Amino acid sequence: MKWVGLAALAVLALALAVLLGPAHVPVGELLRSPIVRDLRLPRAVLAFLVGGSLGVAGASLQALVRNPLADPYLLGLSGGASLGAVAAIALHVGGPWALPFAAFIGALAAMALVYRLGLVGGAELDPRVLVLAGVAVGAFAAAVSTAIVSLSEATALRNAFLWLWGGLSGANWDTVLALCLYAPLPLAVLFAAARPLDLLALGEEPAGYLGVDVAVLKRWVYVAASLLTAAAVAVSGVIGFVGLIVPHIGRLLWGHRHRALLPVAFLGGGTLLSLADTVARVAVAPRELPVGIVTALVGVPVFALLLRRWTRN
Amino acid sequence: MARRPHLVGLLLAVAACGRGEPRVAGTVTVFDDAGRAVALAAPARRIVSLAPSSTELLFAIGAGDRVVGRTTWCRYPAAALSVPVVGDGLNPNIEAIATHHPDLVVLYASALNETAARQLERIGIPTVILRQDLLEHVARDARLLGRLTAHESGGDSVARTVLEALEAPPPWLTSASRRRVVFVVWDNPPMVIGAGSFLDQLAELAGVHNAFHDLTSASATVSLETIAARDPDVVITIADSDDARLPAFASAREWQVVRAVRERRVLTLPGALFGRPSPRAAAAVAELRRRLQALR
Repeated sequence: MKWVGLAALAVLALALAVLLGPAHVPVGELLRSPIVRDLRLPRAVLAFLVGGSLGVAGASLQALVRNPLADPYLLGLSGGASLGAVAAIALHVGGPWALPFAAFIGALAAMALVYRLGLVGGAELDPRVLVLAGVAVGAFAAAVSTAIVSLSEATALRNAFLWLWGGLSGANWDTVLALCLYAPLPLAVLFAAARPLDLLALGEEPAGYLGVDVAVLKRWVYVAASLLTAAAVAVSGVIGFVGLIVPHIGRLLWGHRHRALLPVAFLGGGTLLSLADTVARVAVAPRELPVGIVTALVGVPVFALLLRRWTRN
Repeated sequence: MARRPHLVGLLLAVAACGRGEPRVAGTVTVFDDAGRAVALAAPARRIVSLAPSSTELLFAIGAGDRVVGRTTWCRYPAAALSVPVVGDGLNPNIEAIATHHPDLVVLYASALNETAARQLERIGIPTVILRQDLLEHVARDARLLGRLTAHESGGDSVARTVLEALEAPPPWLTSASRRRVVFVVWDNPPMVIGAGSFLDQLAELAGVHNAFHDLTSASATVSLETIAARDPDVVITIADSDDARLPAFASAREWQVVRAVRERRVLTLPGALFGRPSPRAAAAVAELRRRLQALR
């Protein structure tokens, strides 16, 4: 029953994203209108894929570092992505794919660096070391990109931050196709890790006794979740709170078993982000709100309630 | 608050088309766009200008020789290039400004600049905050800077030039046949110019209509879908340099939904003339009209 409800909500979110918009498109012309075919539809699908990816990445990372505050950007990915994008603009790399590609490379570089730091002194991706390394690398990358921006003379650079604050304005069928080809592999890795992640919740040692190769599990989950987040950042900038709240809502309603939680996080994340993007496009039309603001406006109160509930227990 | 003005001050006030600003003998007092009274003991002789529009205006009213500091963006007129740079004007470096011993600092109205202005006042450097978004502001600030620098006639004549350009009859076109344009100042997320900007005025004067005239602010983020639905005849962007190539977004797939982009009816205007409101409004209007006609 819960699954039917979630599926219905997901379909509703996608339908609203296609039906509603600042431009008036008569229902009869929905299928023929280029505004719907080339703008609304790819944007709705992209929002769903990005939201879903962030939800799954968030749920997996929360399990990996065993910290309820973990979100997909925890491990320095947003800082790395912004540094990549800013560097691409500063070096005058042109073309419509330059920014997403550079952000992706930057996120991967941050991921590699945090991963390497996580192995320092045989730490074997100790969650505490990972979190600290992620925060440190992210802050350092953010500082370097802010320095480049404030020392540079290109107006384009100031606007790089606008892009990084997150949004789905750049959605088109090419970005949808790229994400459709790319996301299934890391998603499959994470879904396959569902059972071992359940056992990891018992602690690393108990999980090891129960037959989980903890070191291998942590590496695969870390890399897959980061690859998923890097792609999401590359196509839509840093969209907050989806990857943080959705897994928690999923746990409240479906429990802690990752076999259910990960698909729920995907559907829930996709639903939340496409709803938020519809609100962002329609609420103050003809203006548009940054979608990250809408997810935070919905997310912060929900998160505050969850936090209260979590601290009570 | 206002002391009884001396006769000299009164005469000066009359000569300088005073509009009721408080005046004290030997001093110049004006109200700036932050609503602050700016009082100078004597006309400013060493000015640091932290906005390209103010730098251009100071040179236009004949007070260019008094500019001792500018921002990296102040590149017009050419004579301004020989003035030392004190920063990019966005988050002013107080010490870098102070080393030039200015007796007046001109800033654009923004929250960061108001904090900087307070810091400068604290070390005894007078500041004036100007908000130049529309052409009327250029006229008003030309007079204001004229008074602060004792170049009243220069300020007046620049103000008259700008106001004449504003009142020039637009070309004979019926509103129904007027082409509609959109100024895209950033592409992702798309940001367009609204009625609060001089670009909206320049379009009107050039005989075209800004498709986002209903937005009251200078600029705003909008959906690409809204731009496509409003279906402008021409998309206009402002380049940093004199680079007249098509902007990168013109080849982005999602932008092809906008008819003007699909038909390559995209104008790239030089930032030197169109990047700020300036006394050269008439020249900007003529240039815009010429470029729009060439696109036909």
